[in-house]
Parts: sequence; C-alpha cells; structure tokens
Amino acid sequence: MARNFFTLMRSSAPSASAHGAATAERPAPPAPPNNMTDGADAGGGVHFDLTLEAVRHEINEEVDIALQLRDVSAFYGSFQAIDRMTMPIPQNRVTALIGPSGCGKSTLLRCFNRMNDLIPGARMEGEITFEGRNLLDPNIDAVEVRRRIGMVFQKPNPFPKSIYENVAFGARINGYSGDMDRLVEDALRRAALWDEVKDELDKSGLALSGGQQQRLCIARAIAVQPEIILMDEPASALDPVATLKIEDLMRELAEEYTIVVVTHNMQQAGRVSDYTAFLLAGEERVGRLVEFGPTQDIFTNPLDQRTEDYITGRYG
Amino acid sequence: MTRVSVAAPSAQLTAFSPRVRIRRGVSIAFMVAALLAIAVSMIMLGALIVEIAVDGAARLFTDGSAVGREARGGAIIADLSTPDGMRWMTWALPVAILLPFIGPRLVNALAPGLPRIAERVMGVIVVAPAAIFVHILYVRFESAYYVEYAKAVGLDGASGNIFQVLAEASGFQIVRLLVVGILVPLAVFAAGWFWAQRMRRPSLIIPTIVIAGWVVYLFMDPWFLSSFPSRQPPEAGIFSAVTGTLYMMVITAAVAFPLGVGAAIYLEEYARRNWFSRMIQVNISNLAGVPSIIYGLLGLQVFVRVLEFERSVLAGACTMALLVMPIIIVSAQEALRTVPPSMREAAYAVGATRWQVIRFHVLPYAFGGMLTGNILAMSRAIGETAPLIAIGALTFIAFLADSPTDDFTVLPIQIFNWVARPQAGFHEIAASAIIVLMVILLLMNAAAIIMRQRTRTDW
Repeated sequence: MARNFFTLMRSSAPSASAHGAATAERPAPPAPPNNMTDGADAGGGVHFDLTLEAVRHEINEEVDIALQLRDVSAFYGSFQAIDRMTMPIPQNRVTALIGPSGCGKSTLLRCFNRMNDLIPGARMEGEITFEGRNLLDPNIDAVEVRRRIGMVFQKPNPFPKSIYENVAFGARINGYSGDMDRLVEDALRRAALWDEVKDELDKSGLALSGGQQQRLCIARAIAVQPEIILMDEPASALDPVATLKIEDLMRELAEEYTIVVVTHNMQQAGRVSDYTAFLLAGEERVGRLVEFGPTQDIFTNPLDQRTEDYITGRYG
Repeated sequence: MTRVSVAAPSAQLTAFSPRVRIRRGVSIAFMVAALLAIAVSMIMLGALIVEIAVDGAARLFTDGSAVGREARGGAIIADLSTPDGMRWMTWALPVAILLPFIGPRLVNALAPGLPRIAERVMGVIVVAPAAIFVHILYVRFESAYYVEYAKAVGLDGASGNIFQVLAEASGFQIVRLLVVGILVPLAVFAAGWFWAQRMRRPSLIIPTIVIAGWVVYLFMDPWFLSSFPSRQPPEAGIFSAVTGTLYMMVITAAVAFPLGVGAAIYLEEYARRNWFSRMIQVNISNLAGVPSIIYGLLGLQVFVRVLEFERSVLAGACTMALLVMPIIIVSAQEALRTVPPSMREAAYAVGATRWQVIRFHVLPYAFGGMLTGNILAMSRAIGETAPLIAIGALTFIAFLADSPTDDFTVLPIQIFNWVARPQAGFHEIAASAIIVLMVILLLMNAAAIIMRQRTRTDW
C-alpha cells in the first residue's frame, strides 16, 4: 500500500509546475506539492490508499496538499491511540475529522503541531510531511512547528490578561518587531472580533462572553501568522449563535489558511468542511481511519457501511 | 413471578423510622466530636490569651521605666479631658477618619468624569488635611506624654512645648515621632483613598483595622519596643529582639524563597515523572516532618562550625531557610498546579518555549500563591525557638546587629529567656513580648489571606 502512495508522489511531481500559479506563493517548498488530480489521466481520478482498511474517494479538484500523513501512529505509554493513518490535508481547505468519542481525533490533531510532546509518555510514529520535512522527526523544532501550525482549543482559554496582550503575546515572544497595534487590529479583524472590542482592548480576555473568548483565541492563533490552524471542537462549548459565528469565520479563514477541525457535530462538519475524515476505534480502542474524501461524497455517498451508520446517527 | 418492590413500606416514610434515626445519630455523633475538639482548643486558647493579655498589657500600656511609672494612657486621657482636648477629639478624629471615604464620592459627585490624574490630585488635596488632623492629634498625645516624662526626669521641656521636648529627646524618639506621626497617617489615608476608589462599595474593614491598630499604638508605651534587654524588668525592652527577628526573616526569605520556588518550578514544570523526581518529592514531604531541633543541630555543624558563620544572624537565617524550605516548595508547587493546563497549552500553541510559558504565564499566575506560602513559611520561621537555641543564639543583646555576621537574638528566644527567670517582673514582660509576637504573626497571616483572595483568578 505504501508503494501505491509513492507511485502517486512520483506521478504528481512532473506536473506540479503546471500549477505554478497556485504553488508559487508557497515559500520555497523543498518538495513539490502533491496534486490530487494528477493521476486522473490514469482513468477517472486517483484512489487514495488511506490505511489498510480505509475507503477512498475520488477527489476532483485541483488542490495542493498542506500536510501529508503516512502511517501515523500515536501511543500513550503502552496504549496505542491511533493506528497507521494515511491521508492528505488539502491546502486552503477545511478538513473535518469526525468520529465517536475516543477514536483518536484529538490525538491526531495534536500530532500535527507536536502538542503530544507535552504529554509524558506520548510517542508518535510514521510521517507527517509539511513542506517536505517530516514533522515527527525528533530533529524538528517543535516550538517552530507550533508557531507555523496554530491551534484553537475546545474550551476557550484566553490568558487572564488584556485582550491586546492576548493577541500580542505570540508575536512578541516570536520576536515580532513591527507595528504591534496594527498586528493586533488585523488579527482581531480577521477573527471578526474587532468591532466588538475595539474600545476596550485593555479589558481582561476573561471578561468576554464564551463566543467572543473563542474568537479571541482564534485571533491569538492568527496573530503569529501560521500556515495551518488546528481547531479542536472549537464550538462545542458555545451556544448556537456563537457556533454559527465561529463556523462563518472558519469558512472565511479557509481562504488564507489550511484548517483542520475536529468536531462531534455532524451538521457542523457538513456545513463548514470541504474534506472529511471519518475515524473509528474498534474493540481495543485503537483509532483507525475509515474513510476520507470530499465532504459531499462522504455525506451523500459513504462507501463504508460504518460511515453511513455514523452519519445517519445509528451509532456513535 | 414475584415483583420486587424497592420502595420502603409506607410505615418507614415517617421521619421517626429507625433508619432515619440512625442517620441522624451518625451526624450528631460527628457534630459532638467536632464541638468537643473545637471547644477544648478554643477554651484553652482563650484562657491562654486572656492570661497573657492580663500580664502583658501591664507593660505594654504603662510606662514601666524608672521614670515615675506614669501611665501613658492616663496622660493622654488627662489631656483629652481638658476642654481643649475634647474639642480636638470631637471633630478632628471623625473628620480625619471619614474624609478619605467621603472625599472620592464628593469629587465624583461634584465633577464627574475627571481625568485620572486630576482625580489623583484632588485625592491628595482631600486626604492631606485628614492626615494633618491626625498628625496634630498625635503630636498632642506625644507632647502630653513627653511633658509628663520631662517633669519626671526634670527636663526644661516641662513647659509643655512640644518643640522644647523634642530638642531634648533622643534621635530615636524624633525618628519615631516623624515616622509614626506623619508617615503612618499618610499611609493610612492613602490606603483609605485607594480603597475607596477601587471598590464600588468602599470597604471600611482594612482602614478601620489599620486606624485601630494605630490608635492602640498611640497608647502603647514606646519604651518597651525601643529598649534593649535589662536586668531590671521595668527597664527591659524588646528592641533587639524585634529587629533581630525582622533581620533574620528578611535573610531567611532571601535565601529560601528563590531556592524553594526554583525547586518547585523544576519539580512541576521540568522534571520527568520518574523514580528520581518521585524520590525528591517524597523526601521533601519527609523533611517537612523532621523535628526543628534536628535542623538546629544541622545548622550548628554546617553553618556555625564548618562554614564558620559563628552564632550570627546569617547562621540562624540559613538554618531557618532549611527548616522552611519544604513548606515553601510544597506551597509553590500547589500554586503552580492551580494554573490550569489549558493556559500552558494556549501558550505553547503560539510557539512559546517552555521557559517562555513559565516566565510569562505560569509564574505570574502562580506568584500570589507562592508569596502566600512564603509569608506563612516566614511566620513559622519567626516563631521557631529550638533550632536557634541549638545554634547558640544569644539572649542578652544590648545592641543592634550591623551586619549579617553579628550576634543576634529573636523574640521567641527573648521570651524563652524571660519566662525561665524566677522574678515575676520578667514573666510580665515575657507576656508583653508574646503579645507583640502574636500581633506580628496575625498580621502576617492576615496579609497571606488577603493576598490569596486578591490574586485569585477565576478561570
């Protein structure tokens, strides 16, 4: 199966220059980005091999790949949380990770920015290719990875400091020397929070409402100018109105950033995401990828019975 | 097929059923145990405090010196009972106390929306007269007392002019007059002003406590706090013991706080959870339980003999630092643990290094808790006697320590020494010293509680 993947890589390489407009903006990619449609000339679209059992969907748009996972496994001590997941994260798209509790969605998300390093006993195997480098390589600086790949958490967690300081913190510690006021304003504007807080930037971040706090966290993540934003159930602690705002925001941000979102909410995945990965844990509680593809396909035409059962609410 | 009913028979629904009675019996048994424990300790503590207060007040509030045994409080009351004194008392004191609290409101009501700096200036203008009133009051008290004093020792200042008395007073007395007479009222009213501005509903509790404490101090005999030990109980004071206590406390904190906080940061933030860090953790808990005299013997060997600090403040402070280190470490660890993991994650997620996370987030949020623990540890340190006796701290010190390598004494040792003497006079002044020590400890604990409340963050 791994060989299949490499075949795809090779076949995609020569045609990458044909999409120069799309790829030129990326800062010096050491390896040409994969293009999912490149294999299409072989006959009606590529069939991705995801994991041993995973189901493949045709991807019929031209899109670069921000992260390429290959056989990613994660362990907490002796417990294996996810098992050999292989899938792409398309660039400037929203990718949703769905699945029942304990199937390894959050674990997988935390592999992307090496957040799992902070948990004692956590260990990751496999490859996550980001700009030609394997993120899971121990020689990769996890701090730099986290700057380039931002994260928004399930529970809004602004710092107990002013709104301004919340946004400015990331840029400041990363040695940003430009106009901090403009950076803060820009980040808050992009997070659709500026109009609500522009007169009270001195106020504590904790004084905001839950939805505002979460948008502040998004602004904080944007302010360090990452390439990818990971969101771990960003709306699960919010009311429906705030949830809607966050979802709109995700759609807007997808124009500039690659977004990976973990969600329990099937409607949310359907509304905001372009691609969906369905994860499931078996009896031994090891998470595996079941199905990956464009969200529309996954929701309207699931190929795996378990995906269909989950989406239609029959279990999970 | 038989049905099993889980519902109690209707007879047991009454509040007097055996099951209910058993439940009530259990709760009453615990209540009795708690009441017994509390009552015994409270009665013992109360009796102790009453006895100490009765003994100690004699020396604290009367002039026990050879100077005619004039009652300080008596002199003040005598002054206040004159028409002049009554006049001062009836309007100066209420004005002085109320002004800082009415002032801010008045300013806000008359000129709402003033810029902050103007508010500050107005604040000073309102507060200053209040402080001056209290100062005048204080000088009246002092002069009444100094006049008595001057009469007794036959000074020329007997004419009653405060400046004449001042001219003949010692340098320390002048300093005391300046500090207590000007700085304390100013500080009190600045605090009152600040408090009134900060709080939507100004709380009178803290300013009231401060003012009450200040008034009590007015009536106190200054000689007890400002005299060195003496062979004559009426002339003995605790000046060297109080300064020695403060001196030792400062050095202890300077040694123990950075080390203890550093250790806590290592254990909580850096150390991997392995047998080594577990061993350290267990040992810290064990050290907290080691009898203090053992620390004294350790200090005697290490600091006094090997490092040749002699019987100095430094040796005592280092010993005390070892003694309170486990307390500081454990409380700092507690404080670090109260910072939720989500804060650390949030900081890591924007690309902060471990040290940046600690420096900019964990430490600032935990610092209040750490300081609280440090204050409590210091209050333990200044109450300890045994280790200092072991390292040989002196009990009769008729001078102030100039450097950390000088001999010293502290309050508990002074008390211990006086209690051990046969004369009843020493027992009385020992009680007075206990009151002073107790007030210091209560103030420190109150500071710790206030600090804990104020630095609490609701995540």
